[in-house]
Amino acid sequence: MTLSLVLQAVFAGVTNGMVYALVGMGLAAIFKGSRVINAMQGEFSVIGAMTTVLLLTKAGWPYPAAILGGSLAGALVGAFIEVAFVRYMAAKNASEDSFLLLTIGLALTLSASILFFVGRDGHLLPPLGGEGVLIVLDAVMQFHALWLIAIGIAVTLLLRAFFHRTTVGLSMMAASIDADGAATTGINVRRMRTFTFILGGLLGAVGGILVTPLIGVDYQLGLNLTLKGFAAAVLGGLTNPLGAAVGGITLGLVESLAIIGISSSYKDVVAFSVLIVIMILMPHGMLGRAGRRGG
Amino acid sequence: MTRRLLWIAVALVIWAMLPFVVPRNIADLLVFTGIYTVAGLGIGLLLGHCGIVNLAQATFYGLGAYASAYCTVMMGLPSAVGFVVGAAISMTLAYVIGRPILRLTGYFLALGTLALSAIASALFFEWDWLTGGTLGIGGIPKIDIFGFVLDRPSRYYFFVWIVAFACMAAARNLVDSRTGLMLRAMRDSNTAAASLSIDLQGLRTRVFVVCALFGSLAGSLFAHHVSFVSTQSFTVDRSISFLLIPVIGGATSIPGIVAGAVFVTFLPEFLSNLGDIHQILFGLALVAVVVMLPDGLMGALNRIRARYAARGNRNAD
Repeated sequence: MTLSLVLQAVFAGVTNGMVYALVGMGLAAIFKGSRVINAMQGEFSVIGAMTTVLLLTKAGWPYPAAILGGSLAGALVGAFIEVAFVRYMAAKNASEDSFLLLTIGLALTLSASILFFVGRDGHLLPPLGGEGVLIVLDAVMQFHALWLIAIGIAVTLLLRAFFHRTTVGLSMMAASIDADGAATTGINVRRMRTFTFILGGLLGAVGGILVTPLIGVDYQLGLNLTLKGFAAAVLGGLTNPLGAAVGGITLGLVESLAIIGISSSYKDVVAFSVLIVIMILMPHGMLGRAGRRGG
Repeated sequence: MTRRLLWIAVALVIWAMLPFVVPRNIADLLVFTGIYTVAGLGIGLLLGHCGIVNLAQATFYGLGAYASAYCTVMMGLPSAVGFVVGAAISMTLAYVIGRPILRLTGYFLALGTLALSAIASALFFEWDWLTGGTLGIGGIPKIDIFGFVLDRPSRYYFFVWIVAFACMAAARNLVDSRTGLMLRAMRDSNTAAASLSIDLQGLRTRVFVVCALFGSLAGSLFAHHVSFVSTQSFTVDRSISFLLIPVIGGATSIPGIVAGAVFVTFLPEFLSNLGDIHQILFGLALVAVVVMLPDGLMGALNRIRARYAARGNRNAD
């Protein structure tokens, strides 16, 4: 195992990890705001990426406008899910499990819709920053991966600022910590829950758009991203969107080191085994109880 | 009481006639319904009596199917050996993995079992010396009972459903037994149950092992029915569709499990006549059931019956 091989694995791990982090942050934001485990978080990514692909190739929009359109599509679907289903079920005091099943059903529906309307082919997007690569000690990193990591870090920092500095972000936190208390201070708790879904949809879509130039997007991508995003969020403590960033990168690194250490075919086996062990040994996530204050 | 017996007799007659009066493809679906009922019963026990969401049933289903396939095709052993080996492996694995994993609760446990299913599905794929990978294992013989070969859906139907009825009786016995009482205590209050020195951890593990046994039996039945098994049948998607069975039908009711199994086998088949759009419709049907019938088909039926009975009483007054 040479140094450049390890470095290559670290590059790949951080890149993939950042995608898991974005999906996981969306999942954690939704869980924090509404106590719903969103099993269709990966579908937000597929919707965002597919919309971008269609706007770029079919509608002929310029790339930045298509990316914006794709991100908004994710946010819109998030808002729709909350208004159309979650609000109704929350009013009837539905159990935790039925929300999980609702989102599983929606994930099946969306993935089948994409298969039906778009087809089973995979689609790529052009890489950001061109086709160039960065070479450090024989380890190769695409410029796009650098962009992905930079955007991921920027989104994480913005999210932190959003939850700590803005009125809307603070209101969302307040509504999730104590709904009644928040309502007495004049916060519209229901609207805050819609906002968390918009945020979750947006984060998922951004993750999906960023990963598409590397691996492509098809109707099946959603489930895998949901699993990895869920794992990232749990590693970070589930209620802390910023913990999901740490969790995602850890997961990505474990996966890619498993590839060079054991075999590429066992990467999921190793990643999910680590997840189970961490859940049992560290029930509050890797950051512990302190991590919960983060977001 | 006699009226109840009459109903059971009528149901039995219909059950016995069914495979002879329906077309072959429907008989085939009825066999699948029986197989899914067996697999769903285990998940129903966990969900309804322990509040555990088990997303790993495809793992045990796969173990049962591969055990049957390997024992009969590769080693030439009788099919009963496959059933026993699969059940033994599944129950051992469920015990060894269940002990640590069932310490988790709620969503974390659901994710833990989902992770288990993802690991198993990757291993089924990788260990192609054992499972044949994507090429699978073909030529699994039909079961024969003292020379009577169950080579048609209408014959296999009876075998599958007798196994399913036995599993239902076993599940019913478990719920009515001392263990069932402990389960009820645990569901109502963990703390109270623990203070009565009920070993909650051991109890959950025991039900998980029973669930794995049912999963494995269903897998073996499946292998002998389709006579070809490959990794595509034991993915995470399959675990999800198994979970839908008790959720749609109603987890605590045994007829509910059968209703759920009918739903997940028949509905996609009927919808597929409508063309490629059927998967979307199945997803929407699932969403509709979850949103409109939170306690499953049986729960909705009981509510209607209760309302009807209430009206009848009022009229009698």
